[in-house]
Amino acid sequence: MTQLQADLLVIGGGATGAGVAWDACLRGYRTILVDRSDLADGTSGRFHGLLHSGGRYVVKDPRAATECIQENMILRRVAAATIEDTGGLFVSTPADDLSYSDEFLQGCLDTGVPVEEISTAEVLRREPTVNPAIRRAFAVPDASIDAWKLLHALARGITDHGGRVLTYREVTALHRDGDAVTGATLRDTRTGEETEVDAGFTINASGAWAGRISAMAGVGDVTIVPGRGIMIAMNHRLVNTVVNRCTMPADGDILVPIRTVSVIGTTDEPADDPDELTVAQDEVDQMLHAGDQLVPGLRNSRALRVWAGVRPLFRDARSQSSDRDITRAHTLLDHRDRDGVERFITITGGKLTTFRLMAQEAVDAMCRHLGDSQPCLTREQVLPGSESGEYYTVRARLRAREADPGNDPLVCECEMIPRGRLEREMREHATVNLDDIRRALRLGMGPCQGGFCTYRATGILHEVDHLDAATADEALVAFLEERWKGSWPILYGDQLRQARLDDWIYQGLLDVEHLPDWSAT
Amino acid sequence: MKPEVVVVGSGMSGLAAGVALAEAGVGVLVLAKGAGSLQLAPGTIDLLGYAGERVTDPLSAIAKLADRDPRHPYALLGAEAVADAARWLSSRVAEGPLAPYRYVGSPEQNMLLPTALGVLRPSALVPETMAAADLRHADRIVVVGFRGMKDFYPSLIAENLMRATGGAVSVRATQIDPPSGLDGEPGTFRLARSLDRPGEAAALAARLAAVVQDDEVLALPAVLSIGDPHGVWETLQRVIGRPVCEIPTLPPSVPGLRLFDTLRALLRRAGGRLVTGSHVVGTKGSGDRVEAVRVHVSGGERSYPTRWVVLATGGVASGGLTLDPDWRMWETALGLDVAGVPAPEELRFSSRYLDPHPLSRAGIAADRDLRPLDADGARRWENVLVVGAALAGAEPWREKSGEGIALASGHRAAQLILNAERRVQETVPEGVAEPIA
Repeated sequence: MTQLQADLLVIGGGATGAGVAWDACLRGYRTILVDRSDLADGTSGRFHGLLHSGGRYVVKDPRAATECIQENMILRRVAAATIEDTGGLFVSTPADDLSYSDEFLQGCLDTGVPVEEISTAEVLRREPTVNPAIRRAFAVPDASIDAWKLLHALARGITDHGGRVLTYREVTALHRDGDAVTGATLRDTRTGEETEVDAGFTINASGAWAGRISAMAGVGDVTIVPGRGIMIAMNHRLVNTVVNRCTMPADGDILVPIRTVSVIGTTDEPADDPDELTVAQDEVDQMLHAGDQLVPGLRNSRALRVWAGVRPLFRDARSQSSDRDITRAHTLLDHRDRDGVERFITITGGKLTTFRLMAQEAVDAMCRHLGDSQPCLTREQVLPGSESGEYYTVRARLRAREADPGNDPLVCECEMIPRGRLEREMREHATVNLDDIRRALRLGMGPCQGGFCTYRATGILHEVDHLDAATADEALVAFLEERWKGSWPILYGDQLRQARLDDWIYQGLLDVEHLPDWSAT
Repeated sequence: MKPEVVVVGSGMSGLAAGVALAEAGVGVLVLAKGAGSLQLAPGTIDLLGYAGERVTDPLSAIAKLADRDPRHPYALLGAEAVADAARWLSSRVAEGPLAPYRYVGSPEQNMLLPTALGVLRPSALVPETMAAADLRHADRIVVVGFRGMKDFYPSLIAENLMRATGGAVSVRATQIDPPSGLDGEPGTFRLARSLDRPGEAAALAARLAAVVQDDEVLALPAVLSIGDPHGVWETLQRVIGRPVCEIPTLPPSVPGLRLFDTLRALLRRAGGRLVTGSHVVGTKGSGDRVEAVRVHVSGGERSYPTRWVVLATGGVASGGLTLDPDWRMWETALGLDVAGVPAPEELRFSSRYLDPHPLSRAGIAADRDLRPLDADGARRWENVLVVGAALAGAEPWREKSGEGIALASGHRAAQLILNAERRVQETVPEGVAEPIA
């Protein structure tokens, strides 16, 4: 058993938790961030990739809109490398009520979201695939943001400032000493090894799982209603600008270009269990039909993957009239004031765009408890990798490759990952999980969905990590299963054809289904 | 020449049908949209590798499968036709442009050949250049890769082969530098072409001799030449003094290309034609007969009149079948009905990749004369025959039966057409049947 000491233990390796740890590190707290899986494996890695301008909320939730635009501007400064400055459009399709567009315009002016009405002809010039029957359009500063890049930048920032990031560590117990939470027992989900953390303070940033964690501290009544949303990645950038329907938030009303794909989202259904997120066939149909309103023909273009994420929506069982909470997109639970439990805070809800603000509020609250008056620094401190202030552009990998074609063969042609880069990732992170490498490098995320690179990455993993073949085989089969999960509900057209080609390789050529003992893994 | 038979598709099934017909003196036109599927395939002829359990004798297993599962393509064909086709293919390759390169093996016995992952794959007929790795007979193998080649991982193969054989076969791995003078990274085709240059095979052999031990079989990725595989393979074996074999790699496949080149050359030699870039979009016909095949060309359409059509467009992977976003499945060239498609509200796939999937067996239902059946089980066309992966009822990748079904059905379609033509000719003088214009 390992014993660790920290000023602050942060539970949950999504954007919020990593943001909390980053903020606390900058204020000089020795911080440990833990997650039961990889970074951004929960809600943060399963959203549509939109950095909100706030436009989506200007009518329904003006306060959230103002928060979004403020945070949007801050993140463009401190995390530029994770953001693509796509800009955003709100368009009124023939199916949308035009009176909403007046409310929208007024809402933008009231909440401070920069807006400019542009002609529909101008929209079609910029984005020729958009429904030509649109009647009105507005430009806003939406953007797309890469959650994995953001989380990796935060993790680097945390470790650069003396913090620690422990992934694949599940919290099995929170320790109490009298009224205070004093740390946690962690279990390594890969090896079973246990770690004891003594922590001066604990912040629960586990999102949809926050109720489970706070219950471990003896705090009841933290009810998180997982709000499930599905998203579909289309194989191409059908648009290069974020395109929203100018209407009250509804299903399938946004198309986000991110990296090499575009993502259509989303739905909102209550879910029972955040660990059990299945995608129903009719949801896929509904989403594709909705997408057709924005970009006619979208249904017939190639769909790559579908996935579900969970919004952690907090329901406060204690407060009957919850007006205050309704306008707040996120919730800070100060368990000292609320439950009489010291040195323990829960921060939940919100959206990726406002993660920094949520983190600041959580760390500010901790500082108040500890009588510390240090200011928050995350508004100004630029994250590692974003020092130049340049936004990510979709051409970046190709440009780097063309500048130096070298002799380093591409292991994943779709995402242009050279072998050397893959080996470096394997060495630095000593992972035996190809899905971790996917999140770090986008391995297998392109059109062929791992058809060629899964085999290659397995062979390289076996060589570089000196894995035994059984472990390498297990990594291969696990990655095939993982890729299949998001693929099968949406397989049709060219993507089904691609999947069958992949079967040809893995079953017909390599005979993966007869690897020794694969079924035991 | 006005074709008597139009074959649509240039994979295993289409070329088998085309060659068999052309060599019997029939006018054959093969229309292919792309390069065909052979270059994606390992180049082996797997008749049946798994029927629940691993199959040791494909022919008797095919006979049993045909009894058990009347909707399987092998039930339409019968084991006899499979044996005929296997013999036929071996004889054709042996007389092809790459001879003395040939196929070895028997339809009555599967070899166990290593895959590029180190799994033992049951194959019946294989290029002579692959046979020495048959794990039923090998004792010691050294798997040799080329440094920097991204589609071949010797140590993973070696270790998995040891696991698969329970240590009964001793396998080790090593790597050597790729041949000098390669222009760029050592990809499969670049390596294969480099070995077609004079002196390269001998130079490689000398370097390989230094790494192989006395009692080992030497296994290499399948890159031993496109133009003269027999010569290169023999040079290596002679210089090294040990058996040498190839392990098929990820697409594109060198042994698959050799088979494609062989069949295409045989087709042309017999007077058949192959036109690629031909996108078949439908037919003209009346009653129960197709009279012409319509092809999309730039600026419009072109029609090829014909007496017979062999549909060899393959399954979903080859574009012969497609599923639309309303979850309806289509046969893309002639618009035939597709059987075995789950209803839109039913599950098409299992949520686990390695489980069986309901959609996998969808395809064109056919009768024993390979005529396509419509949704009511009735023959749609009298002069259209369906062959290969477009046929319903098989899971070719799981069964390791894809090449076998393609070869046997393509060859069988040729026999059926020849028989029918013979009957027409015999009966014409007696005035019983009208010759078909």
